[in-house]
Amino acid sequence: MASRATIIPELEKMSVEQLKSIKEQSDMEVNLLQDSLNNIRTATNRLDLASIALRDLSLRPQGKKMLVPLTASLYVPGTLDDAEKVLVDVGTGYFIEKTMEEGKNYCERKINLLKSNYDQLLEVTSKKKHIADEAGIVLQAKMKQLASAS
Amino acid sequence: MAASSSSSRELQKELEAKANDLSKIQKDISKNHQVRKKYTIQLGENELVLKELDLLNEDANVYKLIGPVLVKQDLAEANANVRKRIEYISAELKRLDSTLQDLEEKQNSKKEAIFKLQQRIQAGKAKA
Repeated sequence: MASRATIIPELEKMSVEQLKSIKEQSDMEVNLLQDSLNNIRTATNRLDLASIALRDLSLRPQGKKMLVPLTASLYVPGTLDDAEKVLVDVGTGYFIEKTMEEGKNYCERKINLLKSNYDQLLEVTSKKKHIADEAGIVLQAKMKQLASAS
Repeated sequence: MAASSSSSRELQKELEAKANDLSKIQKDISKNHQVRKKYTIQLGENELVLKELDLLNEDANVYKLIGPVLVKQDLAEANANVRKRIEYISAELKRLDSTLQDLEEKQNSKKEAIFKLQQRIQAGKAKA
């Protein structure tokens, strides 16, 4: 708490110009950070869906009839082969064959990694947003001062 | 009078030239940042892949997507490829780092030169 309160006297010492540029810069940074936060949330959702699909797949018996998507609008009837093995996309074009258990594990691990990244990023974003807000407040106060002085 | 105004015109031209140089340096710096970002993302992705490969047993199957084809790869080969890629990207990043330092030094010295030039122009105007 103390560290947040001490930036206000720092901001007050600066001129209107500097305050304006600090506020603009902080606003831009906050926007970039918000974008990153959204990206992480989207990725986490996709992984969640994958994890749910895996769990569902593991419940299905071998030989079960299913419809296989070939394109977004074309499905072809097929039968479920071995659901014990899954191919996992690990990035940069590499796929690893894993057992159903390992696949579920992989999803869990990735989701946890993303969640911790999200939390860290959220902390940084809220600190930056605080600075931007404080700069805005001090800027407005200064401008009022100047307006009433002149 | 004529002499001082023509020399001030020269100074102005010099100022413009230096300002152009400065903006070119700044464009180079921002391009450097972009390439750096791309490489850093690739490096992170490759390190994730390496971690996954390390967790595998010897007999696990690894496939690589080459175009539309999934090709079975040897685990050792995949490991070697990913490691080599990580090395290459790290070397590129180091190179970009030193280029960035160069550019920033050039940017600072150009800014100084411009500032001094502006002072000279101001001094010239004050005398005339």
